[in-house]
Amino acid sequence: MTQPTQQRDTHGRFIKPEQDAQSKHAYTEDEVHPLAQFLFGWVEHPRTPLFLLGGVIGLSVILVLMDFIVHRHDYFGFAEFAAYYAFWGFAAFTLAVLSGWPLGALLRRDEDYYGEAETTPDDVESGS
Amino acid sequence: MSGLLGHINPGLILVCVGFLSCLIPVQRLRQTLTVVTPVLALIVLLFAERNLDLATASMLGLDLVLYRVDSLSFIFGLAFLIASFLNSIYALHTNDRLQDGMALAYAGAAVSATFAGDLMTLFVFWEITAVSSVFLILRAGTKAAYQAAMRYLGIQILSGVLLLHGLAYVYQATGSLSLTAFTSFNQPGAVLIFIAFAIKAAFPFLHNWLQDAYPKATVVGAVVLSAFTTKLAVYAFARMFPGFEVLIWIGAVMTIFPVFFAVIENDLRKVLAYSLNNQLGFMICAVGIGTPLALNGAAAHAFAHIIYKGLLFMSMGAVLYRVGTAKASELGGLYKSMPWTTVFCIIGAVSISAFPLFSGFVAKSLTMSAVAKEGYAIVWMMLLFASAGVLEHSGIKIPYFTFFAHDNGHRVKEAPFNMLLAMGLAAFICIAIGLPAFVPGFGFDWLYSLLPYPEYAQSYEPYTLDHILTQMQLLVFAILAFMMLKRFGLYPPERPGTILDTDWLYRRPGFALAKWSARVWGKVGPAMTSLFERLGYQAFIRIEAAFSPRGTLARGGLTSSMVMWSGVLLGIAMLVVLLS
Repeated sequence: MTQPTQQRDTHGRFIKPEQDAQSKHAYTEDEVHPLAQFLFGWVEHPRTPLFLLGGVIGLSVILVLMDFIVHRHDYFGFAEFAAYYAFWGFAAFTLAVLSGWPLGALLRRDEDYYGEAETTPDDVESGS
Repeated sequence: MSGLLGHINPGLILVCVGFLSCLIPVQRLRQTLTVVTPVLALIVLLFAERNLDLATASMLGLDLVLYRVDSLSFIFGLAFLIASFLNSIYALHTNDRLQDGMALAYAGAAVSATFAGDLMTLFVFWEITAVSSVFLILRAGTKAAYQAAMRYLGIQILSGVLLLHGLAYVYQATGSLSLTAFTSFNQPGAVLIFIAFAIKAAFPFLHNWLQDAYPKATVVGAVVLSAFTTKLAVYAFARMFPGFEVLIWIGAVMTIFPVFFAVIENDLRKVLAYSLNNQLGFMICAVGIGTPLALNGAAAHAFAHIIYKGLLFMSMGAVLYRVGTAKASELGGLYKSMPWTTVFCIIGAVSISAFPLFSGFVAKSLTMSAVAKEGYAIVWMMLLFASAGVLEHSGIKIPYFTFFAHDNGHRVKEAPFNMLLAMGLAAFICIAIGLPAFVPGFGFDWLYSLLPYPEYAQSYEPYTLDHILTQMQLLVFAILAFMMLKRFGLYPPERPGTILDTDWLYRRPGFALAKWSARVWGKVGPAMTSLFERLGYQAFIRIEAAFSPRGTLARGGLTSSMVMWSGVLLGIAMLVVLLS
């Protein structure tokens, strides 16, 4: 007994080869827009996070060192301290992010709290 | 420009074409109109003479100035028209008559209000912005959008009513409706008009309509909404309340509180709505300072902001359009399928974060310098904090969680070409007005030449070593903080949920109180009615029993006693007369 060469769908109809190909053409995990590969391909590289962190730390050090060389003129005396802006940027960002933990616990409710869980507007692409 | 065209408010052209467009069923014809009209209006505006009443009307004894251009209104009007043009391109993929028309009419109303020369004209267009913009929310078609639209409309109309009330006081006191700046809150109508503007500018505790309605609007609607209403309010403040110290503090608070909400919010369009509030804070603060440098800052910030905030809303709209959601917890890894959108979103993000070479930097420098120059140290530190906050929610959170972070496996098509075109143009403007002035009139110099006080602006140099160094320190160390927090697992994960804001007060306890009072009244009312009915009935029975022809007093049995009582009364009367 030989295997039938053509497959049948659920209704018993034969599936044409090109139709088959169509249905199998679902986007795969690896399918990436060519431009994306070119522009952002490096993002996926395993060493990228470490490299980025190193870059940012290096830049930070340079910026602080520059503060000792350049004599800044600020309207406020307290802002003329070396690395004042660096400290303030780091502290402000950390404070804002860390406050997300208690605030989230305090203010986050169920998505349907106001009965408004469904907010996807009508003009999004159909089928998505 | 002589002739008729020079005397027509360009906004009015947009309003008329907008309303007309709602009736045109042919998509391409309608959309050609919506794209071409802002360009035409722009040409009309460029030829307008400054500081002249270009169109006047007299109605019901009021002298109205329908069109007047000066250096303050020009830059706002220009930004509105550019935004309207970009929005029309962004909307080309949809076929929605009402949305196309109302978006144009809404933009037109904002432009008309900007070039209004008196309070009554301002009021009329103020209301048209409210009524036309509500359709952009309604067209989303969800129940949530309908309810938010009704809340939005109620609050916007309240603002209009307060403005009308205030201008009546102004007219009564001064006999004129001219847009003269107030000097104190003791002037008649000042407080009312202040609150009317405050509602549209989304001041703290009056801000909820914005975060409520914008994220529920249509994909295109949110982009359109982000440009006009609030910046019109900033313009109105700059026109009527420059130098009011209270605005400095309100502005500073406005820059800070949305930062905390934006950190925990999951819906990225809502994050952008909070971010919008934060940006308005910078402008309001600058208006409060009120010096030429500060007002330049407010205007420059408004111009740059309209473009980059529109760009960010466009990119989130494109993601929402393709993926079907704009929630951070459901997105991630989209750079793989939407690289162009990713690039444009990043340009918007670095612009709003005020990186050197981008538009936010040259605009925000003006405001920061103006605040520092006037010696407001605490306000200045608050704004600095908020600058790091902007980087957090708009600079990092929006692009990072949408396009990078954890890949959620969405494999979609790149955004439609018209969306990419609109985003590309907006990104171009973000860079073009942020670049250093290599030659006079290039880069930020072009923007500065349009500011309300160009002579002050020309003498200001944003690209000094000090400015660049301090701004880069702030931003780079904030990015370092982000990387550290991420690395040590201290960054709060994106989780779905509703974040409560102060609107909880009226949406939960307030609404419950209203429902409770209705129920109580539903019971007390009938009870009281029946009580009074019963009392009335009893009284009627008694009176009827005494006085009716069948009643006690009419009975014959009393006749003899009546004679006696008459005699007694007569006797008493005579006695009194005799004794006195």
